[in-house]
Amino acid sequence: MPRSSFILRRLGRAVFTIWFAVTVTFLLLRLLPGDPALAVASPNMTDDARAALLTQYGLDKPLIVQYGLYLIQLVQGNFGVSFTQSIPVMDVLLQRLPWTLLLTVSALVLTTAIGIPLGVLAASKRGGFLDKLVQVIGVTGQSIFVPSIGVLLLFVFGLTLRWLPIGGAYDTDAYGAAWYGSVASHLILPAVSLMLIQLGSYVLTMRSTLIDALGEDYVTLAKANGLPYRRILWKHALRNALLPTTTLIGLQLGFLVGGAVLTETVFAYPGIGRGIYEAVTQLDFPVLQGAFLLLAITVVLANMLTDIVYGFLDPRVKTS
Amino acid sequence: MTSLEFDPAATAGMSTPSEPVATESGRAGLATWRVFRREPLGIASLVILALLIVVAIAAPLLAPYPASYGSDVLKPPSLQYVFGTDSLGRDVLGEVIWGTQQSLLVAIAASVIAIAFGTLVAVLGAYFKKLDGFISVIVDLTLSLPVLPLMILVAALVGPSTATIIAVVAAFSWPEVTRLVRSQALTIVNLPYVDAARLMTTSPLWIISRHIVPAVTPVIVVSVVVTASRAVLSAAGLAFLGLGDPTTWSWGRILYEAQQSGAMSSAWWLTLFPSIAILLLVLSATLLSIAYNDARNPRNRAR
Repeated sequence: MPRSSFILRRLGRAVFTIWFAVTVTFLLLRLLPGDPALAVASPNMTDDARAALLTQYGLDKPLIVQYGLYLIQLVQGNFGVSFTQSIPVMDVLLQRLPWTLLLTVSALVLTTAIGIPLGVLAASKRGGFLDKLVQVIGVTGQSIFVPSIGVLLLFVFGLTLRWLPIGGAYDTDAYGAAWYGSVASHLILPAVSLMLIQLGSYVLTMRSTLIDALGEDYVTLAKANGLPYRRILWKHALRNALLPTTTLIGLQLGFLVGGAVLTETVFAYPGIGRGIYEAVTQLDFPVLQGAFLLLAITVVLANMLTDIVYGFLDPRVKTS
Repeated sequence: MTSLEFDPAATAGMSTPSEPVATESGRAGLATWRVFRREPLGIASLVILALLIVVAIAAPLLAPYPASYGSDVLKPPSLQYVFGTDSLGRDVLGEVIWGTQQSLLVAIAASVIAIAFGTLVAVLGAYFKKLDGFISVIVDLTLSLPVLPLMILVAALVGPSTATIIAVVAAFSWPEVTRLVRSQALTIVNLPYVDAARLMTTSPLWIISRHIVPAVTPVIVVSVVVTASRAVLSAAGLAFLGLGDPTTWSWGRILYEAQQSGAMSSAWWLTLFPSIAILLLVLSATLLSIAYNDARNPRNRAR
C-alpha cells in the first residue's frame, strides 16, 4: 500500500473519532437530565434571557436540527462563551493548551527515557534483584492516586527542602533566559509526578515484550554467530520489542491527559486541567465541554501522528 | 515465586484451545485455591481487602460520623487524634473510616454495572457477528478518548451525588471490560462444542448463558478486580475535583477539602492517610488479580 493512502486512511480515522467525541458530547448534553441552556450560559440567568438564549442557539428546534447547528458551530471553532470570564471558550482554552502540551510531552519523554532502559535491564537480568524491584515499582506505580504522589513531591521538594517552586508555571518577575529557567524549574515536579504513575505500564510492557523477543530464533542465531550479548540485546531484540511499547503510548494518551488534569490541579499549573478544576467550582459548563472536546481532539491528533511515524519506522505496517 | 507481570490482554488470551472449557468446576477451583494459598502476596492482599470491607461495614462502631466542627483545628496526629484533625477540627481517622464505606460502595456498584453491561455486549458481539463490527468500533473509539474530562462534564451537568458517581464511572468503564471479555469470547464461539450446542438448540440465549458466559468467567473475575480498582481511582479523581457527594465522606473528598482549605501540603496528615487508604485498596486488588491469574494457570500448578 502506498504511503499517501496509508496517511489518508489514518487521517480519515482521526476525523471519524473526533466526530464520535462531538456526537457523544452532543447527546450527553441534550439527553441527560438538566437544562440544555446550562451548556451555553450561566445557571443564574433570568427566564427571558434563557428563552432568548434557547432561540439564539436553536435549542427550541428538533434534535436533529440542533445537532446540525452544533456541528456547524464547532467546525467554525465556536465552542460557546465562558460566562465567568465573558470571553469565547476557545480563547480561554487555547491560552492554556500550550502549558498542558508542555507538561504531558515532558512527562511522556521522561517516561520513555527512563522506562525503556529500565525494562531492558529488568528483562536482561530476569529474576534478579533489579527485575523484582522493577516489577514491584511497576505495579505499585499504577496503583497510586495521582494527587497523592504530587502532594508528596510538593511536600518534600517544595516545602521541606525548598529546592523547587510549589506551584504555577513560571516566575512573573523573570525575563529572558531567567524566564525559561523558571518555566523549567516549575515543570519538574508536575512532570515527575505524571511520569511516576505512567512508568509502571511502560516498564512492564517493555520487559515482557523484550523477554519474548529474546526467545526468538534470530536471537539464537545472533548468539550462535558469536555476537556480544549487549549488542544482541540493545540492537537486535530491543528494536523489535520497541513496537508494542510505541503502541502503548497511543493507548495511554487518554489516561495521561486524565492524570494531567489532576496534576495541574495540585500544582496550580495554568493548563487546561486546572481550567477544568476552576470551571467545576464555578459550574462553567461551556468551558467544561470545550475542554473535553479540545483534549479529545489533541489526543486523537497525537495518536494519529504516532501511528504515521510508526508506519514509517516499521515496514510491516505499510505492507499489511 | 509470584510473577508480578500484569497484562490483562495477555491474560485474556491465556486459555489455549487445548483447554477449551475454562469452567471453574469444583475440582479446578480447588486446584486454583491450593496454588493460591501458597502465594504470600495473594493472601496478604486478600486479608487487606477483607479488613477494608470489615472497616466499611463496622464504620458506625469504629468512629462517630465526622460532621460537627471541633475546636482542635489542624492538629497533627497524636494519641487523641490518631490521624490528626482537618481545618474544621474534624477527626481525620473518622473521615477515612467513613470514606472506606463510600469508596468501596462506589467501587463495587460501578464495577458490577460495568462488568454486567460490558460482558453482555462482549458475548452478544462475539455470538452475533453482525453486531461485532459495530461494538468493536464503539469500544475502540471510547478507549481512545480522554475519559476523565468526559466524566467531569457529565458529573457536573447531572450534579454531584453518590449515584451520579457510580453511574458515570460505570458508563465509561464498560468498554474496557468488553475489550477484555470479547477477545476471550471470540475464541470460545469458534470451538467445536459451541457448534455442537448449536445443533442441540436453536436458542442463542441458552448457548450464551450455558456455554459462553461460563467459559469467559475467569476473565470476568480478573476484570472485576481491575475495573473496581480503576473505579476507586476515577471516583477519587472526581471527588478531588469537587464532584464528589458533598454529604458523604469519601477519600477523594478529604483530599478535595484539604486542597480547598489550602492546608493540603502543609498539613501532611490530611493527604497521607486517605492516600494510603487508596493505595492499599487499589494495590491489594491488583495483586489479588495477579495471584489469582498465576494460580489459575495450569503451568504454575505443575511445580
